[in-house]
Amino acid sequence: MKELADTIAAIATAPGEGAIAVVRVSGPASLEIADRVFRGHAPLPSRRPGGTFLHGHVLHEGQVADEVLLLIYRAPRSYTREDSIEIQGHGGSAAAQRILRAVLDAGARPAAPGEFTQRAFLNGRIDLLQAEAVLDLIRARSDRAAAAALDQMEGTLSRVFGSLYDRLVQVAAEMEATLDFSEEELPPTVLQDVVSRLQGVEKDAAGILATWGEGHILREGALVVIGGKPNVGKSTLLNGLLGIDRAIVNQTPGTTRDTIEEQMVIDGYPVRIVDTAGLRDTRCEVEGEGIRRARQYMHKADILIYMLDASQEIDEDDLAAMKAKNEKNTIIVINKTDLPYGESIQSYMTKQTAISCSLLHEEGIIAVRARIADLLRSQSACTHHSVISERHRKILVMAIKEITEALIVMRSEDAEVSLAASHIRAALEHLGEANGRIYHDELLQTIFSRFCIGK
Amino acid sequence: MQYEVIVVGAGHAGCEAALAAARMGATTALITLQSQAIARMSCNPAVGGIAKSHIVCEIDSLGGEMARNTDYTGIQFRTLNTKKGPAVQAFRVQCDKDAYSLRMQAVVRAAPNLSVIEAAVDGLQCHSGRVCGVVLNDQSVIQANTVILTTGTFLRGMIHIGAKQYPGGRNGEPAVPNLSLQLRQMGFRIGRLKTGTPPRIRKESIAWEKLSVQPGEEPPSFFSDEVRQEQMFHVEHCESGSSLESSCGRSGQALFHVEQSALRPWSPGWCQVPCYITHTTTETHAIIRENLSKSSMYGGNITGTGVRYCPSIEDKIVKFADKDSHHVFLEPEGRTHPDIYPNGTSNSLPEDIQERMIRSIPGMERAVFSKWAYAIEYDFCDPTQLFHSLESKIIEGLYMAGQINGTTGYEEAAGQGFLAGVNAVRKCRGLNSWTLSRTESYIGVLIDDLVTKGTNEPYRMFTSRAEYRLLLRQDNACFRMLPHAKEIGIVGSEVLNRWQRQAQEIRTEIARLEKTASQAGTLAQMLRRTGVSYADLNGALPLDSKVVEQVEIEVKYAGYITRESQQALKLQQIDSQLIPNWINYDSIQTLRYECREKLKRLRPESIGQAARISGVTPADIAILAIVIKRGEGTR
Repeated sequence: MKELADTIAAIATAPGEGAIAVVRVSGPASLEIADRVFRGHAPLPSRRPGGTFLHGHVLHEGQVADEVLLLIYRAPRSYTREDSIEIQGHGGSAAAQRILRAVLDAGARPAAPGEFTQRAFLNGRIDLLQAEAVLDLIRARSDRAAAAALDQMEGTLSRVFGSLYDRLVQVAAEMEATLDFSEEELPPTVLQDVVSRLQGVEKDAAGILATWGEGHILREGALVVIGGKPNVGKSTLLNGLLGIDRAIVNQTPGTTRDTIEEQMVIDGYPVRIVDTAGLRDTRCEVEGEGIRRARQYMHKADILIYMLDASQEIDEDDLAAMKAKNEKNTIIVINKTDLPYGESIQSYMTKQTAISCSLLHEEGIIAVRARIADLLRSQSACTHHSVISERHRKILVMAIKEITEALIVMRSEDAEVSLAASHIRAALEHLGEANGRIYHDELLQTIFSRFCIGK
Repeated sequence: MQYEVIVVGAGHAGCEAALAAARMGATTALITLQSQAIARMSCNPAVGGIAKSHIVCEIDSLGGEMARNTDYTGIQFRTLNTKKGPAVQAFRVQCDKDAYSLRMQAVVRAAPNLSVIEAAVDGLQCHSGRVCGVVLNDQSVIQANTVILTTGTFLRGMIHIGAKQYPGGRNGEPAVPNLSLQLRQMGFRIGRLKTGTPPRIRKESIAWEKLSVQPGEEPPSFFSDEVRQEQMFHVEHCESGSSLESSCGRSGQALFHVEQSALRPWSPGWCQVPCYITHTTTETHAIIRENLSKSSMYGGNITGTGVRYCPSIEDKIVKFADKDSHHVFLEPEGRTHPDIYPNGTSNSLPEDIQERMIRSIPGMERAVFSKWAYAIEYDFCDPTQLFHSLESKIIEGLYMAGQINGTTGYEEAAGQGFLAGVNAVRKCRGLNSWTLSRTESYIGVLIDDLVTKGTNEPYRMFTSRAEYRLLLRQDNACFRMLPHAKEIGIVGSEVLNRWQRQAQEIRTEIARLEKTASQAGTLAQMLRRTGVSYADLNGALPLDSKVVEQVEIEVKYAGYITRESQQALKLQQIDSQLIPNWINYDSIQTLRYECREKLKRLRPESIGQAARISGVTPADIAILAIVIKRGEGTR
């Protein structure tokens, strides 16, 4: 039992500044390691019951590494169902790194990505769907996302997939019956019934798939792209939005000098906000590349903020760019309203989707922010069973495809039921994967390689 | 006399086991209570049907006898499921039940290395966990290296007719009282199952003109490669008056004409006999309902579990109360046999009620009974105590096949019998066991289900039990079984070479069709169109009909076949991860208690088999895989 018997450790909190950083240790030697690295009041951690927390210091090479809280978990009452400790130190990667190093020197080994969850899964603490949800929990960047991930951990999604699976099994059983028994033994309506029930399952599966948008926004953050001609005030808007929320997580320069991506939270929704290169004709190759990327971003945005200069006329480039997204996912911002209006801009001023502002005078930013929040809410209309991971989405898409093909076979002139049944079996196999109802070695490996370190 | 293989019981499993062993060159004894009961069709006079048909074709391709015996003694041939796709198409053949038994007796007697012994077996003789012979009821011992038990319904068999019950292995034959008690003492888990058979009615008492007729199909479809070949080349003429033995033909296993004197010239499938269909009436149902308490099944006399898929008529009326009529198929028991088999009327009612009930069915108002219906309870041995070779995990060298393993059906029995026979011989010769996988055969599915999941009701084969149905067609059985047939060595080299050549031709021709362009796309794409057959193709070659059939199916269903092949490959991979003998489930504390207990009890042979045990979760399997991987690293 080498893989399960040794003790693993990792920093469990996300990198970057935070109030605290947590180092987690799991495995039979956890408490022994705590005894070695932790200095606090007697008795030693290994003599304490599970569920206690101690104040003290972590020592490394005779020096105080950090002032910490030590949490003690005893098997099976821990996340991994093994003996575990959690050391809560001060935020910032330096202190956390020192604690981790102390723990590793005391006998733990660094955890592989997802290894804590793998242990929780292998020890029967959580099922496959719950394990998936944990990944999303880690990645969720806001409270709202965490709530959806918790919902999944409670098994909502397990139940929804389970119910589709069960209903499909019922239909499959009837189809199989027509293959294994002669017509004389079965009611004459059996196949008609199968078709209508298949349609029902297909429809419901498609309904679940439709909730995918919400899941994607909660997990990865909505992509909000600011586009427009050069000098319309895109960067000013970005800074203004960030300034209101003061929620800069980090600043990632784009691969070209002209695209800047920031992360923030608006009304509890994680948002990736991108400032793009100004759109104009150019002979400069580098700028041309920046503009090409800008168009790409505008195309894949969840929300497009297109900025116009009130003092300029709207040209065909503007019109084309504003059509990059569906109108209801586009916010038109007319800046520089303190300047004299251009003729063509007048008609846009009255549009519902347009927001007038004068960023120079810090006017209108709150209105833009409120509009973004409105759109985020409408795009992620809350349902109970959000499909929140890419893997689940794929499974649903594949299952629906098989069900659709089965229906095509069933409706064809010389419907060969054994072929339709073959599609339904495949659909079941897909849905079964979501519930962990079928064993495939590679499936497990794929899932666990996706887990980030620490959980 | 020391035999290499002893087979106890000469039913459909026993005959295949004994013939396979003897044909592989092992000195074999087939012990039966009475030699004229060899290969007796105790219940319905038919072989095949959906999924069972696949097993028969596999047996034929491996060198077994059931397919040939059926074709040569068949009196009505039909193809089922013709419109549901090639994967589920199946043959069903009504046989002359006396001819079936007589021909098999002749084949068994003519087989080299095979002795038939008429005796009753009382127990096994074992020495330090290994079987070394059988003890007869006169307490004499016959020594053997291996023993195969194919005891059917005889172990503590109990026949029920209404309130009456008496020990019996089959109608008019004694039960075997002690063998299963000894097995229990040795540590085998023994259970109780129930099956039943309808009454037999005199042909002349039936008003045929009232019934709808179900004729055979022309030309007939045959199970066996040999008979299909015969049909293609020539029709055998047979001398009248030749003895059964001498007419067994080439090497004692070929053409045999039980009907030679009546019909000359004669060929298999010649002059088919129809079946008839009638149905139960509301009166029938009323009679049964009123007398339900007198039925052994419903009166509480029977504790064994019955066949859900082949229900007694009491079951049908109780469980499907809304139906006011059920079909009854009148099947002749033989060309000249005086009885018909009223399929669908199996019951355990008292004689007088049986008579009233049957006489309420149109066409049978004046029915004269020659045998009463009865239910029978018998002991079976939990098949999870067997390896995939059908050797028991408890006693080395002891094999079991057929109803003793909880199955129902002649075909299921024969498939197991053949595999057990081959493995008994391999055991004697120190060879590793020979098994069939779920990915390549219905016999493999059958045996894997039995030894992995066990059964608590008589197990019947269905196509829905097979995951890779498009791969496991009856039409490609000989190609699927080819590598196995070569290894076993019963099928003649001439036949094997022909299959080999055909397999090659099929591959070459499919490749040619895939890359040859025609008016619209490749020839293969043309062939995939609805209604296009191989002969319609521009540039079709003059190939064997077998090759053409396979090319058409493989090309038309290529998408499905490829997908299943890929899935089958995955299963083969986890099935090839064997669980080593050093594994100690008690030491794996991370496994849940129930899981540890299950694995200890079932001792799965591979990770794949462990994963198929009900209640074993993917997490358990992941742990098991890790333990094995780690253990192998340190060893």
